[in-house]
Amino acid sequence: MKSKALKILIVAFLLLSACGKANPPSPTATAEEKPVGTESVAEVQPEADECVACHTDKERLIETAAPEMEAESESKGVG
Amino acid sequence: MAPLEPWEKVLVELDAFSQTAHGKQTCVDCHGGVQSPDKETAHEGLIASPSAQPEMYCGDCHEEQVKTYPFALHSTQAGYWTALNTRSAPENHPALEEMFGNHCATCHTTCGECHVSQPKQVGGGLFTGHVFEKTPPMTRSCTACHGSRVGNEFLGKNEGFPGDVHFREARMNCVKCHEGADLHGAAIEAADAETHRYAGEEEPKCVTCHPTTAPGGDENPMHQSHGDTLSCQVCHSITYTSCDGCHVAISTKSGNPFFETQATYLTFLIGRNPNPTEERPYKYVPVRHVPVAPTSYQFYGANLLPNFNALPTWVYATPHNIQKNTPQNASCQSCHGSDGSLFLTADKVKAEELEANRAVIVGLIPPPVELFFRAPKMPASHRTLASNACTACHTTGIRNAPVSPEDHAAYKDENCSGCHKLQE
Repeated sequence: MKSKALKILIVAFLLLSACGKANPPSPTATAEEKPVGTESVAEVQPEADECVACHTDKERLIETAAPEMEAESESKGVG
Repeated sequence: MAPLEPWEKVLVELDAFSQTAHGKQTCVDCHGGVQSPDKETAHEGLIASPSAQPEMYCGDCHEEQVKTYPFALHSTQAGYWTALNTRSAPENHPALEEMFGNHCATCHTTCGECHVSQPKQVGGGLFTGHVFEKTPPMTRSCTACHGSRVGNEFLGKNEGFPGDVHFREARMNCVKCHEGADLHGAAIEAADAETHRYAGEEEPKCVTCHPTTAPGGDENPMHQSHGDTLSCQVCHSITYTSCDGCHVAISTKSGNPFFETQATYLTFLIGRNPNPTEERPYKYVPVRHVPVAPTSYQFYGANLLPNFNALPTWVYATPHNIQKNTPQNASCQSCHGSDGSLFLTADKVKAEELEANRAVIVGLIPPPVELFFRAPKMPASHRTLASNACTACHTTGIRNAPVSPEDHAAYKDENCSGCHKLQE
């Protein structure tokens, strides 16, 4: 009878252990979640704007801007 | 200002621009094109000047301006057409339209050419790294186009003549007087569109800021006696620019349109207002010679202005070089009993333009003020006379009318009431 009761207790302990919470996350683990969130935001941002990249880069504009062939004005006098 | 380098014209200052409402849009939203690091690819389908289609690109936020601007003079250039139509005939319109497209239409202005970049006509180029300017920068926008007359006068660039007091002393820019509604137009349909810059309401008006100068407003005898017969500029503007004989053509060498102005010179001349209206009742105004000639457009056809004489070549002007003290307001004698040098008399008009300027030529110099004050009053009973033909009685003496002196021979009926005021 005693051994039967002991068996019941052991089974009950195992069952209760299985249903218990996992170890609560440590503060370190919580802090580690933030980068995950940041990465997911970065993923939805648009790609680099090529227009802005070029039109804010003076050297690149100097390199690529087509020279303007200014036609000599044939007008005479005040317009 | 020195011309901008090609790269300077399109350099965006992102820090400043991105802080503005326009900077919240992506480039492609307004300019089209394609996202690519390769310039040629990126510029496929590029819309360099989105505001050339204001309904599409500006109207969502600037509904009021977009509604009126298509009918504003900066957009329609209707002033040119009012003059061209008056001087020409319908059969000449196709040739004149071609001329206009080649030589005049480039002055049409988009929203962007005042608010974000220099007008194309003067080379283009962003003002301040693509930041939109509510107030257009005066010398890079307004006087970049309106430079040879208004700009030079206002900024004091005519050698020997000071700039406008509003600029010289108060550093006022154009929009201090020419407010947005004046520049963006007020009509919302073609039928109400302005036909000329001097059509309709007088805007801006000097008396808006100087209310005491209106007749009855202050003790200044000049304002009291002349306030409704002389435009403010008659007394308060100084020498300004006139031009002669502009001719346009297409170059056989380059294929480009060009013009040639025969003469540019400085004048100050007071003429008669050819078209007094309720809004501009003045009898006398400064007049400026405009460079039109009967043969101005002969490259496009013979005799395209058959009604050349329908409009004067010395035109109503509002010179932008206002001064408190001017040579002509120094004393009454500057005009009254003067040698007439300040007035557009027939001897100052070219013989071939006399007919066109009949309405503005001053026939008689104002008499000396002494004579004016001595002149007998017109009897109060004349108020009810059906005829205003004074000379009918006063040259013959009929009906016992006193006969006018011999030195009055040059005076016409329209002159009499200038000196002979009606008795109270």
